[in-house]
Order: sequence, then structure tokens, then C-alpha cells
Amino acid sequence: MPVARVNRVLCVAEKPSIAKAVANHLAGGQVTTRNVRGNPYVKNYEFQYTFQTWGACTVTMTSVLGHLLSHDFDARYKAWKSCDPSQLFEASIDDFVEESKQPLADNIQSQARYCQILYIWTDCDREGENIGTEIRSVAVKGNPSLSQPGKTVRARFSNIERAHIINAAGNPIALDEAQSNAVQSRIELDLRIGASFTRNLTLSVQPMLRQHFGNDDQGVISYGSCQFPTLGFVVERYLRVRNFVPETFWSIKVMHEKDRVKVNFRWARNHLFDRMVVVVLFERCLAAKTARVTKVQTKPTSKWKPLPLTTVELQKCGSTFLRLDSARVMQVAEGLYQKGWISYPRTETDQFDRDMDLRALVQKQTQGGDWAQFAQGLVDGGFSLPRSGRNNDKAHPPIHPVNFVNPTQLNQDEQRVHEFVVRRFLACCSEDARGSKTDISIVFGSELFSTSGLTVLERNYLDVYKYDRWTSSQELPRFQEGEVFEPTEALMSEGQTSPPGYLTEPELIALMDANGIGTDATMAEHISKIKERQYVETRARARGARQGDDDDGAASDGETAAGAAPAAGRGRGRGRARGRGGRGGGGGEDRGATNGMQEFIPTTLGVALVEGYENMGFEISLTKPFLRKEMELKMKAICEGRKTKAEVVHETIEQYRDVYVRTQQRLDTLRAAVRKYCFGENG
Amino acid sequence: MANGNAAEIGASISTFLTAKGVPPTKAWLHTFFSSVRLTTPVIALQQTALFQIRNADLQTSITRSASTLLPPGITDPATKEKHVRGPITVQVLDIEDIGRSRWSQVEALEAVDRGETTKGREVIRIVPEESGPDSTTLADAAKSSGPHKLLLQDASGAQAYAMEVLPLKGVGVQMSVGGKLVLRDFMVARGLILLEPRNVEVLGGKVEAWDKKWREEQKQRLKAKASIGEGG
Repeated sequence: MPVARVNRVLCVAEKPSIAKAVANHLAGGQVTTRNVRGNPYVKNYEFQYTFQTWGACTVTMTSVLGHLLSHDFDARYKAWKSCDPSQLFEASIDDFVEESKQPLADNIQSQARYCQILYIWTDCDREGENIGTEIRSVAVKGNPSLSQPGKTVRARFSNIERAHIINAAGNPIALDEAQSNAVQSRIELDLRIGASFTRNLTLSVQPMLRQHFGNDDQGVISYGSCQFPTLGFVVERYLRVRNFVPETFWSIKVMHEKDRVKVNFRWARNHLFDRMVVVVLFERCLAAKTARVTKVQTKPTSKWKPLPLTTVELQKCGSTFLRLDSARVMQVAEGLYQKGWISYPRTETDQFDRDMDLRALVQKQTQGGDWAQFAQGLVDGGFSLPRSGRNNDKAHPPIHPVNFVNPTQLNQDEQRVHEFVVRRFLACCSEDARGSKTDISIVFGSELFSTSGLTVLERNYLDVYKYDRWTSSQELPRFQEGEVFEPTEALMSEGQTSPPGYLTEPELIALMDANGIGTDATMAEHISKIKERQYVETRARARGARQGDDDDGAASDGETAAGAAPAAGRGRGRGRARGRGGRGGGGGEDRGATNGMQEFIPTTLGVALVEGYENMGFEISLTKPFLRKEMELKMKAICEGRKTKAEVVHETIEQYRDVYVRTQQRLDTLRAAVRKYCFGENG
Repeated sequence: MANGNAAEIGASISTFLTAKGVPPTKAWLHTFFSSVRLTTPVIALQQTALFQIRNADLQTSITRSASTLLPPGITDPATKEKHVRGPITVQVLDIEDIGRSRWSQVEALEAVDRGETTKGREVIRIVPEESGPDSTTLADAAKSSGPHKLLLQDASGAQAYAMEVLPLKGVGVQMSVGGKLVLRDFMVARGLILLEPRNVEVLGGKVEAWDKKWREEQKQRLKAKASIGEGG
């Protein structure tokens, strides 16, 4: 029971655009805007609002610009040569408000004095919870009563559509301390481990690089527990390609012409790597002279519509279909979310909640755009419930369009991303594509062969989701079980395996996702980081270069699925970690869309680092995913209350300290690798 | 230990082993007897004998006759086809998976060396795709093994290549070198023995020294074959 009457509520969002949108929705247009001294981006919006919980109140809505607090080591440890890097595992850490953010903190502190309730409106994910607790800690300085139970609450929202926001405003919940703690432990671990390893690595290797190249250009050689495994994937693929030995294989091809159609039969063994064996088998086929049909089966088949959209999927598709790299896609998506066109773009959830009104959302898309007619078709009876994936982070729904917007209001990149989100959503609400597949098997000598034909009967979702392909094959002539015929042509053929291509961004994201490196929000950042540190470079993939794995399989006749729908990733945990330091205020400049598929090539330094650490022994494995994967699992355990922050920090520090010591003992291995790759000296 | 007793036991063991396809030589029996107590029940002795002979080199343990040796000239590539009744006992000297490239097999061994097959350290490299009820994945293709090509040797030391036309249980790269097979009623095409479940009995066994060496050299061997292979 509230004892004191609530008159004033202070609402704080994570970014100015959210504050403005929420203020306008709640105020119904009657907003007084005031500047905040010391910062041109953040404003205080004042209005009257009647809350379900507290009645009529005066509301001040403001925001921060991402994280309010910064963390660094105590002054004694800041200089690189001030201490042995391993001391950083224990050195004390200060939390402070960085100079540029001081005006925001001052604003919150002073506004808090007059309020009885602090209402947090940061984005609903782990980082948001943590930022919420930062805001609270600053507000409490101005008004200690806000630390009492029920005085600081938070809003739960996934998009900034009006009805949704008003509903959120009426249903506040408590800040999730567990999630905030998870973030705090991550911050502390990244700081301690990142700093100690980076200093150690740089001090060990930088001098030799500078000396050898005779200049001071070589910058810091950083270590990050996500960066390194990411680099590890790139280097590993690079070495696989370089070390690849092509091999010849042999195959038997059977072709039979019937009803004027040439039917190619594929060998059940696909191909073999021993010529003698294939010759023998081939001869026995020929000796048999005739082939017999063992199975003719026609059955319905389908191509599944895509799963609801997650962040990882969006990034992969962005690279593959929209030719935008992951960092750019997320930037654009974030912008679309802030403007209210799509839902929160950082989510692992690939299933829609049962009580979500999807039809209403489809209805909105009938208003315009190339997909209007298709959307109308869904409204008129073609609607089908979306597939459900296996992941639900319980924080946000899959990415979907929230409102209709005329594409002409968006810039080019926004149009492409927006279009993708809309088409994906409409595809989710359509039917699977349906077809009919005929499989025919024959036995020729002792060998089995088969062929199949596909007839696409209903395109359904394919009509709106232009990113998938499914086409009918040539029509197969009629065969009957038991039928015997003499094949028109039987040949032995030869081919060669070819190396996989270098890693493309969607492949790298898929690997990071499958191996638990980074969270959906941070993957793009880790990738940017290894580029920034010059551990890798990107270049456009040459036309016709192979994608995917080696062991060239003969293209199958019958169905082809070019640009197959990218894989559904496995969800690992409940949150995203990211540095939301300074991304408010000014919008991102247009970097210009990347053209063509980019592939990653490690630099000599990148290869030297990975090889150097690999050669130190696998129990150290800084470039392999499992150490980081364990850390992510521990973060999840904190969120779920199974482990405390202190436990996790302690355990992880001990683990890395052990690795640190071993690394120290084997530094020569690292230096040898640098000499080999960076200096070209014979290893 | 009465001599008569030893002779009887010897005969019963010899009969037992012969029925299994591994008729022992007198010399081998003699060595065997020096390593066991004759007071042990005969059935146990029989099993021990079978176990030991399975792990021995055929060339020094079983008798040579038309019914234990590969017919002469069966490896002749000029002969299109030849049927052999058998039974013939052979030991496996080499096994190769010819369904996968040697290079991919090398990569798989290197992943084991890097510790990636230990629990908790797996690195997932192939991400499965799902596009429909009939989709097969790259991962499935990579894991499939076989068919296998074997190098077999009979008791006289003669060697011949054989191939699994249909999958044989117990045959694969995990199989031990020196393992024994009994072949019956089989076809030889251009010098290549064609194996199917109905004409092969896998007796098992292993010659420790050979198997150890084979496994140690496996990666090297595969690499060498991969480099030669590209020539065709």
C-alpha cells in the first residue's frame, strides 16, 4: 500500500528517441520539452499521465545514452608498466561516471529529488537491466528513498507502438537483479582478463614487431575472449583452404532416354576414391546389360516456410541477400525499431506467442508496398500459423513489422532491411510451398542408382519471400516397378574435390552461434573488432568460387535449392552483451552498402597469434570456443539464480589465471610463430 | 599330466579350431600347450585357443592346404570373373574407407589430435540446415563411412584386395589389423574379391604389433595417398 501519495514519476529510457516516442504516446501530444544542460541530445519531456498503479501524476521522461557508468582499474594499475599484468586479476576496480556522461547523471540525480517513483524504460535485455541499476544508483544519490522496495520499477516493452507502450506503462515490473549481476560479472571479467592478457601479449610481441619493421606503427595487440575464438574460426578455415589437397574420384553415370526425355540416374555410392574398384563395379554393370526398376514412388513434398526471425538470422540473411554486413544491418534495424517500424531487433526468440494478434499485423501490411496484395490474400483466408522454433529468450518476440510505413519514407538501406523483415513475416504467416516428388530407383548389375523429379504445385510463401528458390525439375517419364530396360548410356566419370571457400560473414556468424561465441547482439561487434585490430581483412569473393564444404558432390538432378534458407541457430542464453557506450544522439553515417559477398582472410599477425597459441597446447585453447562458451553458460546460470556473481567471477578468474601462467611459460612458442608468419623466417 | 590325455585334448582342440576355419599347425599347438594348464576344462581351453589363434599371424599358426589358401592366380586382372567356394581364412592387413576423400579423413584425425573430440571441447564446424522434410545435411554426408577396401592375406602370405559390396558388420576403420575373416562362396572380379554379408564370417582378433603400427602411421599413409591420388 503506498503510504505517501505519488505525485511525480521520473521515467528514464536508454536512448533519446525512445524517451521521445514513449513521452508522446503517453502524453497524447501535450508535452513540454526542456533541454538538459551540458548535452544537446538528451531532453526532459514533461507531461501529465494517469497511471493505473499510482493515479494522476506529473511525469518527467528523460534518457541516458547507453551505459552511464564506466569501469577501470584504480589509478595505481592504469599505466601498462605499473605492475605485472597478472596483478590485474585482483586489482581493485572503480565504477565512475565518465566526464562526457556527467551531465546525464547530474540531470537524473536532480530530477530524482522531486519524484516518488523511478520508472526505468531501458531496452528489455540484460544490458538494459544493468543500465537500469546504474540509473538507480545515480538517482538514489539525489533521493535515497528510491532504493526502497517498489519505488524503482521497470517497463516491459518490445516495440514502441502506441498501444503496446500504454499497456507497458500500466504494468510495471521489478528490475531483474540477477540479469544485472550477470552483466556486471561479464564487465568485470572482460576487463580483468582482457586487460591482463592484452598487456601481456602486447608487451611480449609489440617490441619485436616494431624492431623488425623499424617503425612505431604497430599498435596494441589486443586479446578478447570472444575476439580470439572468432579469429580462430577465420584462421582455421584459411589454413584448411591452403593445406587442401585435391583428390580425384570416380563415379558411374547412367542415362536413359525414354519418351524423349533424358533421365540421369545418380549412383547410390555417389563417388569413390579408388579407380580400380570403380572400374570393376562398372564392368559388372555393363555385363548385366539391363537395369531393373526397383521402386517408383510419388509422394507429396513441401518446402517449409521460414522460421520467425531472430537477430542471428537477420545478420546472416543481411549478408547473403541484402549485401549488408552484420554491423550495418544491425545499425539499420536499430534505426527502424527506434522509429517504430519494427520490433526490437535483438532477440533469440524464433516462436511467436500464442496470444499475439498476428492477423492484425498482417492487416497493416495490406496498405501498400509490393507485398500489399499478398498480405491481402492472407487476410482473405490464406493465413496460416507460423512455425515455432526451439528458442525463446522470454524477453522479446521474433523480429516483425509493427506498423505500416511507405517505403519511400525510408532511405535505401532501410528499405531493404525493412522489406526483408516484412516479407519474412508474411512468409511466416503463409503456407509451406507444396509439391510432388517422384523417386525412382533402379538396380544395374550389383549397383543401385536413383533419380527424382519435383513438380512444384503451390508456391504459397515463395510468392512473397523472394529469397528462397524452389523450382520444378524436368518432368520424369513414367516408369513402373519391375520394368527392365537397357540404359541408353552408362559411363565412368571422373572429378576432383575442391577446397572450401574462405569464410564469409554468414558462415562466420553461423559458426559463432553454433559454438556459443558472443550473443546475438555482440557477434557483429566481435567481427568488427578483429577487422579493426587488423587480425583479418575482407575481400570480395571471386565469382564462381566454391562455397561451403569440400568433397564436391555432383549436382543432383531434380530439385535444386539455391540460396537455401539459412540454418536455425541454437539459442544459448538469455541475453546480449554489448558496449552501449556512445551510440545515442547522432545517427550513424551512411557507410555505403558493401557490394558482393565478402570473405575473411587473416593477416600474418592473425595467423601468427592463432598458431602461436595453438602450439602452446590444447588445454589452453584461447583460440578455441570452449572457454568462452563456458563463460556464457555461467552468465546464464547467474540469470537463472543458480550461481552468484562472486562464484562465477572467482571460478573464471582462476581458470584464466591458470591459462595465463601457462601462456607465460610458453611465450617463446608465440614469438616463434610471429617470426615465422610476420617476418617470413623459416619456422 | 598323462601323455594320452594331452593327445586327446590336442585332438579336440584341433577339431574345434578347424571347424571354426582356423586349423592349427602342430607347431602352434605345441606352443599353445606350453602356455596353458592341461587341467583346465576342455571347453575353456578351446576358447583360449581360439582367442590366441585369432590374434596370431596366420602364416605361422594354421595349416596350409587347398582349403585354407587363396587359389593361385586369383589376383590376375585379366580374369574377368572367378567363383571360389572356399572356405578360406584370411587376415586383414589394411583397411581403407574409399567413400570419403583421404584429405577429409586426415582432417578428422587432426581434430582428434587437437582434443576436439573430448567432451566439452567439441567444435561444431558444420551447421545443419533445415529446408524441408527430405533435406539431407552436409554433416550426414561427412559422417558416412565406407565402402571399405581391404587388403587380405592368407596363411601362405599371398595377398589380395577385397571390397565391401554391401556393408559388413564389424568392418570399418575401427577394425583391428590382423583380424580374421572366413570367406565362403565368393566372386572375384578382375582380381578384386567381392565381399557381402552372406559370404563373410568375421572371426575377429588382432595382431597387436601390426595394429599398433598401422594406427601410428595412419595419418601419414592417408596423406601420402591423397597426394598421389590427385594424379589419377
